[in-house]
Amino acid sequence: MANTHEHSTVHHDHYNTKVDFTFPTSAKTLLLGGVLLGVISLALTYFMFDDELHTRFWTNFLHNSVFFTGIAFISLFIYCAFTTAFAGWHTVMKRIWEAYAQFLIVGLGLMLVMVAGTYFHWHHLYHWADTSVLDPNNENYDYILAGKAGFLNIGWYSIGTIVVLSIWYFFAAKIRSLSLDEDRNGTKDWGHHLTIQKWAAVFLPIAGFTSCAMIWQWIMSIDSHWYSTMFAWYATASWACAAFSLTILTIIYLKSLGYFQNLTDEHFHDLGKYLFAFSIFWTYLWFSQYMLIWYSNNGEETTYFYTRVHMYPVLWYANLAVNFVLPFFVLLRNSTKRKYGTLIFASVMVFIGHWWDYFMMIKPGAFHGAQEHLAHAHGDGHGHHEAAHGHDHAHDVAHSATDHAHDLAHAAGEHGHAVEAGFEAGFTIPMFLEIGTFIGFLSLFLFLALRQLTKASLEPRKDPYYEESLHHHV
Amino acid sequence: MVFENKEVLYGLYNDEEELMTAIKRANKAHLDIMDVYTPFPVHGLDPLLGLSESRLHIAGFVYGLTGTATAFLFMTWVFTRDWPIIFGGKPYWSVPSFVPITFELTVLFAAIGMVVSFYVVCGMGPGVTNPTLDDRITDDKFCIAFQTNGYSKTEINNLRGFFKATGASEVSTKVI
Repeated sequence: MANTHEHSTVHHDHYNTKVDFTFPTSAKTLLLGGVLLGVISLALTYFMFDDELHTRFWTNFLHNSVFFTGIAFISLFIYCAFTTAFAGWHTVMKRIWEAYAQFLIVGLGLMLVMVAGTYFHWHHLYHWADTSVLDPNNENYDYILAGKAGFLNIGWYSIGTIVVLSIWYFFAAKIRSLSLDEDRNGTKDWGHHLTIQKWAAVFLPIAGFTSCAMIWQWIMSIDSHWYSTMFAWYATASWACAAFSLTILTIIYLKSLGYFQNLTDEHFHDLGKYLFAFSIFWTYLWFSQYMLIWYSNNGEETTYFYTRVHMYPVLWYANLAVNFVLPFFVLLRNSTKRKYGTLIFASVMVFIGHWWDYFMMIKPGAFHGAQEHLAHAHGDGHGHHEAAHGHDHAHDVAHSATDHAHDLAHAAGEHGHAVEAGFEAGFTIPMFLEIGTFIGFLSLFLFLALRQLTKASLEPRKDPYYEESLHHHV
Repeated sequence: MVFENKEVLYGLYNDEEELMTAIKRANKAHLDIMDVYTPFPVHGLDPLLGLSESRLHIAGFVYGLTGTATAFLFMTWVFTRDWPIIFGGKPYWSVPSFVPITFELTVLFAAIGMVVSFYVVCGMGPGVTNPTLDDRITDDKFCIAFQTNGYSKTEINNLRGFFKATGASEVSTKVI
């Protein structure tokens, strides 16, 4: 804002709002009920509705862990980006992102379970985790995965996950403690804020590189032969959309309880713009990734989209409709970014849409990988034996330009092994257990975030940008 | 059409807070402000002056849609009717490959359309001069202007009194 000096006098009427958040008991009960539902869903999935490898349980667990850990991570990233850019408009609501970011310690715990599952081979989500594919004398030898073993190996997966998530949490905790200390001991030389700014600036490049590596190994390596250089950004943009929509919903909820009365339509307008802009950004990455692979028609790359477009058509096209068409047309006008009704509608849809997007990233690869593994284990004799020739099969697909059902089936199998396309509850579309797990993780996330909010003033009144934030005007 | 020169009485303020206060008083006294000039966009000025939201973006949306339709239909016609060529084994009507150009033309049509509309609505064009009341309103002065054609002496004195009461640093008249 060019005219900050305009507001050199303090307008006391803006301070007239509650800032000491008390967690309503009804909300607490509801969220804990949600967590219980999630636990029950996971248990039911594991013990009753799963294959021998527990693929459905592990994919659900990975899906939600990565999704919510990512929201915590991207909230910290957004916070740090704004702080580094000397932004002031968001200051009044910055405690929300601080609270979200504290979920990273839970994310570390959740991903530790994934690490243990990979280390002890409790699941078969990652084909590269099977060390027999690295041995040239083994019938399972897979030269593509052997070539990727420098990155895709259990040691790096485990250590990388632990180290990177610890670093993320360290920054979240450090910045949070500095921000809370500013409330108690903040002075007019803005020492706290300047220190936060330094930590924020350090976090940005670290976050940029580490998030890519984490997304590659957590999600992209499920389709272990496939790779895309745009995937990390695409997945991160998905987190960002989810984080902004959840922020909008949380703030509207808190406002309905009588908090944030000085957070106006102007702030919502900017949050709506961010939701709109990141939805477009996500679409741009989604489409660019798709179109380049579609255009070059290179078999080892097209298998990823072949599987999804032809076996998951409803999810596939709905993903684009919910995450692009809907927010684009709903949030295009100025007025819809300033009204609760349209904001809530767009936020809820986009939040579910991006959860769905992650479902699409994880389920098909894990499902077909598990089917192959089981077929192989049952003496089918096709699965891994043909692994070394998977590359050639992929080239066969590339030679044939027309959509041919036979090639489709070949391309769909990770290693050129034909996999039948058919409905599979929990893989083809999210079913009750998936929705229950989603509600469980969401409840846990919100419960912890709201509990964090009770620990400090909702508004950082000693932040140098606080006053500017109250006078925000778009 | 007969163009009448505008007789303008204007006052300059040193600060936008003074300007805002003055406008609030003028509104209360039902003075008919012709226009307000500021060196930079002042937040909260539009609602005070009763300016409604610009409809330029609605025009922009329509121009954008025109661009989308033009690009998409043109490429469809070219690649399926006029000059079908197989590119990389793809079908003639390959929608994904149309998307980048469709996007570009949407942006181009919206941008050019909005610029042209803006110029037309504001009456700007080659050779049009736009007299300023005072050069310093592009630097550090904030100006309220009244059109005084046909005003009586009492009315003009009333306006001068308003400027004095609201702390204008200078008051002048000009015919534009």
